[in-house]
Amino acid sequence: MSKQALSRIELLQGTLDFIVLQTLRWGPRHGYGIAQMIRANSNDSLQVDTGSLYPALHRLERKKWIAADWDVSENRQRVRVYRLTAAGRKQLAVERTRWEQLTAAIAGVMRTPLAEGES
Amino acid sequence: MTRPPKPSRDARDVDLDDEIRTHLAMAAADRIARGEAPDDAVAAARREFGNVGHVKEVTRETWGGMWFERLLQDLRYAWRSLRRSPGFAAVAIGTLALGIGANAAMFTVVNGVLVRPLPFDEPSRLVIASYEPERGPFVRRPGMDEATFLAYARSARTVESATAFNEVQTTLTGVGEATRLRASSVTANFFSVLGVRPAFGRAFTPEEGAPGHDAVLIGDGLWRSRFGAERSAIGGPIILDGVRHTIVGVLPPAFDFPFGAQVWLPITIAVNPHETRLRPVAARLAPGASEAAALAELKSIVARLPAASYGESEHFIPEILPIRSVIVGDVSRSLYIFSGAVLFVLLIACANVANLLLMRATTRRHEMAVRVALGADRTRLVRQLLTESVLMSSVGGAIGIALAFAGVRALVAIAPEGLLPRANEIHIDGFVLAFTVALCLLTGIGFGLLPALQASKRNLSASIGDGGRAVSGPRSMLRGALVITEVALALVLLAGAGLVARSFAQLRSVELGFQPEHVLSMTVDLSPTKYAAAPALHGFREDAVSRLAHLPGVSSAAAVNWRPLGGALIKGTFVVGDGRRLKNGEGWASKPAVTPGYFHAMGIRVLEGRDFTSADRASAPGVVIVSAGVAKRLWPGQSAVGRLISMEDHPKPTDWLTIVGVVDDVIQEGLRSSRDAAVYSPLAQLNSAFFLGHLNFVVRSSGEPDALMAAMRDAIHALDDDQPIASLGTMSNLISSTIAEPLFQVRLLTLFSACALLLAAIGIYGVLAYLVTERTREIGIRVAVGAVPSDVVRMVVRRTLALTVPGILIGLIASFGVTRVLSGLLFQVKPTDPATFIGVGSALVVVALAASIVPARRAARVDPLIALRQE
Repeated sequence: MSKQALSRIELLQGTLDFIVLQTLRWGPRHGYGIAQMIRANSNDSLQVDTGSLYPALHRLERKKWIAADWDVSENRQRVRVYRLTAAGRKQLAVERTRWEQLTAAIAGVMRTPLAEGES
Repeated sequence: MTRPPKPSRDARDVDLDDEIRTHLAMAAADRIARGEAPDDAVAAARREFGNVGHVKEVTRETWGGMWFERLLQDLRYAWRSLRRSPGFAAVAIGTLALGIGANAAMFTVVNGVLVRPLPFDEPSRLVIASYEPERGPFVRRPGMDEATFLAYARSARTVESATAFNEVQTTLTGVGEATRLRASSVTANFFSVLGVRPAFGRAFTPEEGAPGHDAVLIGDGLWRSRFGAERSAIGGPIILDGVRHTIVGVLPPAFDFPFGAQVWLPITIAVNPHETRLRPVAARLAPGASEAAALAELKSIVARLPAASYGESEHFIPEILPIRSVIVGDVSRSLYIFSGAVLFVLLIACANVANLLLMRATTRRHEMAVRVALGADRTRLVRQLLTESVLMSSVGGAIGIALAFAGVRALVAIAPEGLLPRANEIHIDGFVLAFTVALCLLTGIGFGLLPALQASKRNLSASIGDGGRAVSGPRSMLRGALVITEVALALVLLAGAGLVARSFAQLRSVELGFQPEHVLSMTVDLSPTKYAAAPALHGFREDAVSRLAHLPGVSSAAAVNWRPLGGALIKGTFVVGDGRRLKNGEGWASKPAVTPGYFHAMGIRVLEGRDFTSADRASAPGVVIVSAGVAKRLWPGQSAVGRLISMEDHPKPTDWLTIVGVVDDVIQEGLRSSRDAAVYSPLAQLNSAFFLGHLNFVVRSSGEPDALMAAMRDAIHALDDDQPIASLGTMSNLISSTIAEPLFQVRLLTLFSACALLLAAIGIYGVLAYLVTERTREIGIRVAVGAVPSDVVRMVVRRTLALTVPGILIGLIASFGVTRVLSGLLFQVKPTDPATFIGVGSALVVVALAASIVPARRAARVDPLIALRQE
């Protein structure tokens, strides 16, 4: 049950793009593989909605940050495989910097002791 | 186009399908590998994936650039969905075709008359300069006297060049039957100021304004009708008013400025101390000069001139007006009102179609729910529904354009002669088409948006569950509101039409002061060269009257120089013999001159004294007859007969005229003006060619008018067949032609309000019919528990009144504001005339009740058994 609740963590706008790019750093993957990997890497707390994942993949492809190729699976099914492009790599670096700044900032806010008199 | 082929939508769709299918297969395979049963695994994978249709939909959204394909898909879908309900589509499209067609037709006229560029070079730099008395004895129109014009043309710096012109009439002889032509006397630079080149030949040379030159230019129409469109006409002769002129040029087709002229004669403007004439002045602004600067300069120029004064008015106004003002005149007001009326019709049509869509949305609720279940989000549904409504309005618009083609032709045909200036410019052009396309899009979105938002707002589980059964609520409120709006709009339009119609009826029933029945009239303008002196003019008139009097069926014949309602009249001052100084306006009257028997022929009552006789000739003592208005004004309670008046400001003893009779006042100027005070002179005692050369013959007869008209024409031609005959007809018809414009307004507004009424009736009918269908079950229950048919009918009628009465009330309130725009058109009717408002309100109630008959009868026949079994 707790996993169910955790899976509902809402991703911040734009964060999914970052996560997808980050995931593809480990090598080309198809949509299902990306979803599984995000889930596994987040200890099941991020369960990516397909209604967000596929639009994100197609959007990133349009921005030329990732590229797609067709492959054939063992079951002789057509598989669309995404890989990171050079532009995507650059973008990932940008996103990572921004993310680190953001988490650092939020962490800073969270660590600030309560102001006097507030209790 | 040699771009690499873009993957088509279909190929991308197949790819996306494959991608998702693989995803599902992999997910299922993973589950099977973990030990789940294959069937459960597939189902679980699907569940986990979510709504496949939705995922596809939102993924496709990111593709972008596919909007056209998506539009085509939406259009195909919309087309199929309309094909599936042809009845609905026919009513909706027909309604829209009517609304859009009427607007396209009206806009075509507005475009031709008011919008299309004038046939001049750089028309934006052309203005009319005017320096006119604020309140003169005549209808105000732009004009400038000679001295001002000369000073202005010489010294104005904001103006590159200026030309003065005036309207004249001239008689053409020598080619076909003698005829009166509209012509214009223009300064020699007229065409260069306007920037118009003759199609053939040349314009005037600067010297040609001076006397001794005989050059004229003619219009394309005259050149074709009378000169066989032969180039050899240039350099050839043309006989105008009996004088030979030389045609030096032919103007391009459609050029008839000013005043529909077909002949242009050169003049030179010079100051004449005895006679002043106000002529419109067209000026070309210097490059970069603004109208405001031109006005400021005109003001400073006139301020330096010696003060001028004419007649009653001392106050002159300098003005710079758009050149259109001379061409278009008053018609723009009518056109704006008509445009407003057709816009109302379109609004009603939109409300009607919106209502149809709302009702249809109820039956389509299931379809919408299924589409949502298949993954369409709200934006998608709204876009789809809007595509559908724009498709309807576009089909309607296409039919509307076809209607407009016919409508414009009909409109120009029924418009009274001369009412629509630039009639040859009125046709459907690219601008009109663009307007119509814009109108289609706007109306499509206008009537489609509300229903689309409503339809897409449905809670989907509820809809799939109940299979589309009706629930009343906000939607039926919205429908009611739309019908109320329609009724209100229709009422405003009806009120406007009613007011104009009532005003027209008032005009028709104006007391004329004479009996137009059985009177025929014709106008003859005698050639000033052939009939230059009084004896010739007297001779022609006396011969003509006696010939006319002897025609079979004629009981009396007479002549007058300017007849009542003839479009022009002579007014002037007079003094009285007892030495009184007449106060403002007392010594002011119209001054027709007549032959003996005129009052009898026209049916004007002689109240006192006698008519003129043949004894009142030039050698006899001068006499006049005054109208009751003059008599009452100057000698109240006493007899005017025997008193002396004079037309001269400082009369010599021989200038005194004796009043021998008093007659009724008659309407002279126009039906809208009051009956004029008049001083009649015998034509035989005048000797100025100006007063004798323009003749109206009037004949009273009981005979067949057509035969008599031919005989009258022959009688004049037997005397001199070079004298043109104009305005030949029965007096009643001639009077009607003076109110052709209000008649045209009545007809058009009645037509538009009939459309509005019809549409409103369809709207009411639609809502009631739907109500009865929707409530069949309720009605069934009511009947089952003892309601009789009359109760059911009462329910429908109540609903009808609930829709109509608020609409009428809102419409009445709106009318009080809106009909004010008509006040300038109305005659003896207030824009808030209660009788009209009550009348149109009741008419609407009657129409609404008539529209409810069929639904009410259907409701009364509901069989409770059948109605309840439908459950």
